[in-house]
Amino acid sequence: MMNVKHGATLGLLAMLVAVPLTTACAGEAGLGDPRTMTFAPVEFLPPEPERVVFENGMVVYLLEDHELPLITLTATIKAGSWLDPAGKIGLAGLTGLVMRTGGGGDLSAEQVDEELEHFAGDISIGLGRQSGSASLDVLSKDFTRGLQIFAGLIRTPAFDPARVELAKLQAIEGIRRRQDNPGSVVGREFVKMLYGADHPTARESTIESVRRINRDDLAAFHRASLHPNGMILGVTGDFKKSDMLASLRDAFGDWAKGAVPQLTITDVPEGDAMIPAIRFVAKDTTQTHLRLGHLSIKENDADYVPVAIANDILGGSSFRSRLFNDVRTKRGLAYSVGSRLNAGMHDQGVWLMRAETKSVSTQEVIERFIVNIERMRSELVSDAELAEAKEAYVNSFIFSFSSPSAIVDRLVKLEYDGLPKNFLQQLRDKVVKLTKEDILAAAKKHLHPDRLKIIAVGSGKTIPGVLSTFGEVKEIRLQPEE
Amino acid sequence: MKSRSRSRLKLSEGYVHRHGAVLAVCTGFFLSLSLNLDLVSAAPPSLADRVIEHKLVNGLTVLMVERHQTPIVSINITFAVGGINEQVGQTGIAHFYEHMAFKGTRTVGTKDYEKEQPILDELALVGTELDHRQRELAIKSGGGTADEQAAVASLQERFAELQTQASHYVVGNELALLYQRHGGIGFNASTGKDLTRYTISLPANRLPLWAAVESDRMAHPVFREFYKERGVVMEERRLRNDDSPSGLLFETFTSAAFRAHGYGVPTIGWESDILSLTPAETEAFFKAHYVPNRATIALVGDFNSKDVIALIEQTFGKIPAAPPSFARMPVEPEQRGERRVEVEFDAEPALVIGYHKPGLGHPDDDVFEVIDAVLSEGHTSRLQRKLVRERRLAASVGSDANHPGVRAPNLFILTATPLAPHTTAELEAAMYEEVERLKQEPVSPKELERVINNLDADMVRALQSNSGLASQLAMYQALAGDWRYVLTLRDKVAAVTAADVQRVASQYFTKSNRTVGLLVKKSQGKTVAAVQGGEVAP
Repeated sequence: MMNVKHGATLGLLAMLVAVPLTTACAGEAGLGDPRTMTFAPVEFLPPEPERVVFENGMVVYLLEDHELPLITLTATIKAGSWLDPAGKIGLAGLTGLVMRTGGGGDLSAEQVDEELEHFAGDISIGLGRQSGSASLDVLSKDFTRGLQIFAGLIRTPAFDPARVELAKLQAIEGIRRRQDNPGSVVGREFVKMLYGADHPTARESTIESVRRINRDDLAAFHRASLHPNGMILGVTGDFKKSDMLASLRDAFGDWAKGAVPQLTITDVPEGDAMIPAIRFVAKDTTQTHLRLGHLSIKENDADYVPVAIANDILGGSSFRSRLFNDVRTKRGLAYSVGSRLNAGMHDQGVWLMRAETKSVSTQEVIERFIVNIERMRSELVSDAELAEAKEAYVNSFIFSFSSPSAIVDRLVKLEYDGLPKNFLQQLRDKVVKLTKEDILAAAKKHLHPDRLKIIAVGSGKTIPGVLSTFGEVKEIRLQPEE
Repeated sequence: MKSRSRSRLKLSEGYVHRHGAVLAVCTGFFLSLSLNLDLVSAAPPSLADRVIEHKLVNGLTVLMVERHQTPIVSINITFAVGGINEQVGQTGIAHFYEHMAFKGTRTVGTKDYEKEQPILDELALVGTELDHRQRELAIKSGGGTADEQAAVASLQERFAELQTQASHYVVGNELALLYQRHGGIGFNASTGKDLTRYTISLPANRLPLWAAVESDRMAHPVFREFYKERGVVMEERRLRNDDSPSGLLFETFTSAAFRAHGYGVPTIGWESDILSLTPAETEAFFKAHYVPNRATIALVGDFNSKDVIALIEQTFGKIPAAPPSFARMPVEPEQRGERRVEVEFDAEPALVIGYHKPGLGHPDDDVFEVIDAVLSEGHTSRLQRKLVRERRLAASVGSDANHPGVRAPNLFILTATPLAPHTTAELEAAMYEEVERLKQEPVSPKELERVINNLDADMVRALQSNSGLASQLAMYQALAGDWRYVLTLRDKVAAVTAADVQRVASQYFTKSNRTVGLLVKKSQGKTVAAVQGGEVAP
């Protein structure tokens, strides 16, 4: 599928019409040839969540769903590791972690876990690179108490010093274990090649940076960054809207507004982004882990849809894609192979191709990647490829609205990203109108074989030689950490 | 630590998925039941009332739950077949067949089956002969005589010709393409020790397409691109087992714990077996096992059950039942002493400890479910509290009551990674202290209550997702012969007492009954990390 951050798939929304199962059955015995079956379009009018803004700026989306006695509340928080000071990379991550584990409200760390787990409630809190997220998942009978605990952790976390210390030790152990799996090494080093090792999207904590962070830093980060007007709540489940709003006002209504951090991430200078590079990391493995790609557009770019569909046909749609058919099905050279367009709203997107293949077929796989990009840039896609991509997109659209929480989560994410609430429908309309010429033009403009950043993790005996046939190779040497 | 929402009967270990992107974790929830009336009294009819069951004359079991909120449907087809059904020398064949099941049928995936078939038949013969001769030459000194080498070269030439000819008739991945065009998502399959499972979610009005495709696939699969796919599976093996520190540790540990029973064999198969699989053996394995009387189809979503039954009768109903197969599986002999294995890897250390225990249906099995939850479920669990928080010996801890399968006698395992500078030896000793505590002190009433409260809540949560519910229903039906097993399991878990835990811990958690696997850092040295900035060397 097209890699859309606001839900994996898109679809047609129209009036609700019941379509009997038998409409499409062929008249003969059995059902006939599945390849020629046709069906009515999927028609579905999803329920519309309500949006409320509290006096302190907190936004709430609500959608009742009485099928099961459950309530799920999520908070999307404008705070994340883009705010980490240069010497203390890892601060936002640790803050989120210890907000959850370090007690809060009037409860100790132990009391929070004891009480929650006794009634099978679940709270999670995490601050990621470009947003934070917290959630409460409880049986509806436990919601009132669950919300009290949740609000306590969000508003007045205790940051129990023992839990801060433990989180730091765990973070350091995580750093020590970063190089264990080749897949982790290749992913992290590739992102550093694309954005630069100090860029907010690529930078990583170190043992030193974690050691420098203390409890006061966490508390200060929380005070400075978490405010009701930087939070969007989404609530679904077994409640009455008016009761829920009253409960949420009780929990958050008297929390004063604050200065919400700006989410702006600087672009990589175009000069740097255009320079091709080849890097190699030696690791004693049987396979070579490969990534090839470059920085790309954001999700609101005018060319987003044609680039996304070009990527879908090239390698984004698993079984249906050219790379899957060429490298895996026809040649048997990889288990996992494909391409991806990761485009969001806050940093530059990435377009990449990836595979893991045994050392001796490394050269062939890279060659197939390059042949396939060139083909995307020089030939129109076939009528069948375009039709398949469009049908897959339109017919699977319904799955973006598959549950009340999926519907609410999507609206929350769109608002966080500053996109219109009918953004998916806009994309879908563009997909329907797309032509082969649009795709070719987008591929020529946005897929750049001359700007490829290539990284391979694998055998030090053979891979540097193979890579050198594609250009100058530099080795990234993994160094002892301490 | 494991998430508290999980399946009691886990199938995670040893599961092999078809797609690299999806990790093989059974994130199942418990089925919702009417057992705790206080809990679900406000809800619509519970699952026990909502499952509609239908059995075809050919033995196929169909389970349906109607959910009309959104016009979509999730379907799970589960065969009670897996790695456990393999014979020595053909390990990996169950998983390999699962890959072949994506290659199409006599109609889907081909331009002209009439012309394709004789080529595939000859390719199978030539490929089998070629494999055989190459294996023989490989062990001969000097690589065999000139005549023998010439025979191989001639076979290779013919093999290449036939592969090229066959490729002209293939419509690559047409089966998957059909589903994608019709809006299908989550098209995948997985093979474990006990079960093989096929999944898809579709817009609900596409059910006739699904029935036509899947009944055709159950009756008439065609093994296209067989030899290319062996290469794909070898890459999968390298990715999951050979180059993965935890993958290799579990493979080595599990095969050390089982000396006779098939649970000791990795589901993906040993390398030399994968490279020796033949189309004829795979066909025979398919015919013996992937039959309607060993299959359960679970459908959850927006449909009318009567229509679905008619559709399934019209399609799957035509597939004949197969005679029951009488698999002979060695019984694992009693373990007579601790076994210890090490795996050297360029990775930080890890530890796994396993004890032999009974499988599904044995009364002690339910007690292990309680022990599993008390030890590692949630922040309040014992291993999390003691080893991670209080003593700070471990970076992570876990347990699993059914490794690597569920049905047959299996292992209760404990896993952990040490927090440096602590060692696996210190951690292992600390784990045994917790194991001894289970024997010496009764678990508290509060711990037992928490286990059952979480179980009940998970049962409600199980109903939230169409695909999750379909998966759970089909899994229990295939494993236990009746999806209602979960109803009784909940009550059995609730009935477990502190004394039961002490008795079972004392009986099974003994030194002579355990196997210990250690991941050991290969290069004597320190952790490595890429140096920040400017470290790039020419």
